[in-house]
Amino acid sequence: METEQLAYYPFVSEASAYVESLGVSLDSLLNSRAYRAARARGIERVKEALEGEIGKSSLNGEAQILSELLSYPFARMLVACIDDQLFTRRYALAEAKAAYTLLRTESPDFLLDFGEDFGISAEPRETHFSMHFTDYIRFSNSLKDPAWKLTNRQLRAGKVRVTREEFARLLQEAVRERIEQSFPIPEIPEEVSAFCAPHAAGIKEQFEVQKKKFGATDFGVVEPGLFPPCISHALANVQGGVNLAHSMRFAMTSFLLNVGMSVDEILNLFNVSPDFDAEKTLYQIEHIAGATGNEYKPPACETMRTYGNCVGKDGLCEKISHPLGYYERRVFLKNRDREKEEEKEEEKEKAGEKKNGEARKKGEGKVKEEGKEERKEEKSGKSPEKAE
Amino acid sequence: MGYTIIKKLAETKQTPKNSPNSETMDKRTIRFLKSRFQQYYKTAEISLPDHLPNREWAFILFDDLEDKIMRRHKSFGSPGEALDYLYGMAPAHVYNSTAYYEYPNAKKMNEKNWHGAELIFDLDADHLPDAPRNYAEMLENVKKETFKLMDFILDDFGFTENDIELVFSGGRGYHIHIPHPKVLTLGGSERREIVNYVSGRDLDFKYFFRDVAMDGEYGTGSKAFKGMKNVPTKCMLLGHDSGWGKRIARYLADYLKSESGKKYKKYMFPELRRHEKVGSTTVNKLLRIANSENGLNDILEHGRLDFDVRNFKEIASYFMQESSENFLQRFGASVDEPVTADTKRLIRVPGSLHGGSGMQVKKLALSELESFEPLRDTVVFGEKPVKVNVSKPFTVQLKGKDLRVEEGIQEVPEYAAVYLMCRGVAEYGYRRDQPNPL
Ligand code: SF4
Repeated sequence: METEQLAYYPFVSEASAYVESLGVSLDSLLNSRAYRAARARGIERVKEALEGEIGKSSLNGEAQILSELLSYPFARMLVACIDDQLFTRRYALAEAKAAYTLLRTESPDFLLDFGEDFGISAEPRETHFSMHFTDYIRFSNSLKDPAWKLTNRQLRAGKVRVTREEFARLLQEAVRERIEQSFPIPEIPEEVSAFCAPHAAGIKEQFEVQKKKFGATDFGVVEPGLFPPCISHALANVQGGVNLAHSMRFAMTSFLLNVGMSVDEILNLFNVSPDFDAEKTLYQIEHIAGATGNEYKPPACETMRTYGNCVGKDGLCEKISHPLGYYERRVFLKNRDREKEEEKEEEKEKAGEKKNGEARKKGEGKVKEEGKEERKEEKSGKSPEKAE
Repeated sequence: MGYTIIKKLAETKQTPKNSPNSETMDKRTIRFLKSRFQQYYKTAEISLPDHLPNREWAFILFDDLEDKIMRRHKSFGSPGEALDYLYGMAPAHVYNSTAYYEYPNAKKMNEKNWHGAELIFDLDADHLPDAPRNYAEMLENVKKETFKLMDFILDDFGFTENDIELVFSGGRGYHIHIPHPKVLTLGGSERREIVNYVSGRDLDFKYFFRDVAMDGEYGTGSKAFKGMKNVPTKCMLLGHDSGWGKRIARYLADYLKSESGKKYKKYMFPELRRHEKVGSTTVNKLLRIANSENGLNDILEHGRLDFDVRNFKEIASYFMQESSENFLQRFGASVDEPVTADTKRLIRVPGSLHGGSGMQVKKLALSELESFEPLRDTVVFGEKPVKVNVSKPFTVQLKGKDLRVEEGIQEVPEYAAVYLMCRGVAEYGYRRDQPNPL
């Protein structure tokens, strides 16, 4: 690849090898005036990720190329210092999206080379690419559209047919996964964290605000009223003393842990049946909670369905693929409505108490018809689109 | 790790389902079975897995059956060690991991350092839709399912016979191991996608039928030009010669054929007639296709659905969607999803004995599957008479012979004695508080 291309795709192995060969010391990357532009661009990268999209403009001259190239390792240090798993995912997604925008315009040969860096071997055909199905599912798996399902693909002798555009989309997933998995960076040097601290703090704060506003997966107070039907149903059963199937017990417990309930709180939920075995239950919950070293995510809707645990599916269920997604979504909607209410209250205070009841009514029924601006916010506030 | 143990036991189904629990086995029965198993392991050919030192092994000993204790986290550096253990302990159940670990004997799963795992399919009678009348019929159903799965594995996934290992589980089904380099590092959700593929779940026919502009070989030439409203198109079945496309083509062709073979026209294509756009003109045209020389071939070999029936794309997808249950039953393979999705599964070792039946867990060549009869080909014990006390009347066909035992004390050949005891319907010898009647 040309150095210019390396600067556009700084996460390919060739790019990191190239950066290494430049021999730029950590000290100079952090302090030298020569790299001021690289640092600034690095900070910009991370901030743009927060907004959802990293812009990439054309690069003119060696200096710009070098800055762009070095801004990536710098941005990564910053992300490492922010040290928030959710933010790391956000960042990886933004980088990957930016890569996709560029990849769509690249030649087939370039795409094939690029794929090889991610262990994807594909062959060019006249009108499409042909790739091994195991490589295909590794990256198609996180994509929700049924058109990506292996079942709906043409598969022959182990090879799946994809268009060039689809291939680029799969590469986006590959990039996202690579960046995501390159974190956390072990042992960040003292000087780096000292340098990044002020920037990291600002971004983190902004991110926290976003999260609070829009839910994300870092749930605040647990709101059982917003649980998906399957979980509510299981909870009702438990409290009615009905024994749950093992798989549902697992799904419910891990769900509750994930939304932030403590082991004790969950233990109390189970403590209703006459043959309640506290010790055994505690053991099971702690096992799921990761006392034994594993942390479990609750199963996705698809798995829930497989085991017959998807009970009481409602309209919102159509839009999500994971019970946590359901909850996330409702928390988001609720917070947004509440904010609207608050805004209204403020307005009302200003405008006097006229038309009080009417305004309230309108606010309640308004979930679907919000303005464009808000919809955009919602988008950037959502956690990455990867399904379980 | 009591919880894990119980969970694993529940999942691995170490006894055939309708056998009473081996929990109640008495001491002498245990001693007898152990000695028979030991004798078997003395000379048995065990097919040890590749990368032996990286596999975790697990056992359930006869003495532990009652407490359901599984001894896990063992590993063997060499074949000799493994074989010595089997002979020395004569376990009732023998498993190894489908996974390769750096430290297979670490006590905690996350300390083992997972490197990869074989792709596994478990075909089990429990997962089949039709309830069989007896054990032999059940095994026959599972065999059919296995053939369906093999078509996916060889044709769709492109594995060769050398890439796979087909094993009779010693109980109610078959295991297929695929230790191919391309699959080893797949995660659970990717493996689930593979199960979905072979079962046809999420199959949406609209992705297979497409209108394409007419040109070339089958078109009428490109009379159409830009801006013209009705560009001539033809309906094609995409990927008609491989994967699910191939199965759809077969289904459609078979349907046309069998319907057009009916005696009276008014009984033909009842499913299609439910579609608003299908009238007698359409039926006549379909008939002509079905009876013409090339009609069905055009579907099977060229994916051509562009007969002069209008809206055929729509009609065909409608028909497939309506028949999807029947279609999937014919072509989809029902495998046990959690088994395939689990990248740290324990699975029975080929060559070992199944403690719930006394039958051999047996590796087969693909060509042997057709004529394979588990109840004949996996019985390893001899004819020596053994006294047993049967708790309820029981019928089974073993080694090609019908065996019927009544309640009470009697003598049966050793192979039958082992089977009955493992299934939990008989005890060794006679009860201590009863005189020996023989
Ligand atoms: S669709 Fe998902 S969230 Fe909704 S009830 Fe089913 S499993 Fe629960």
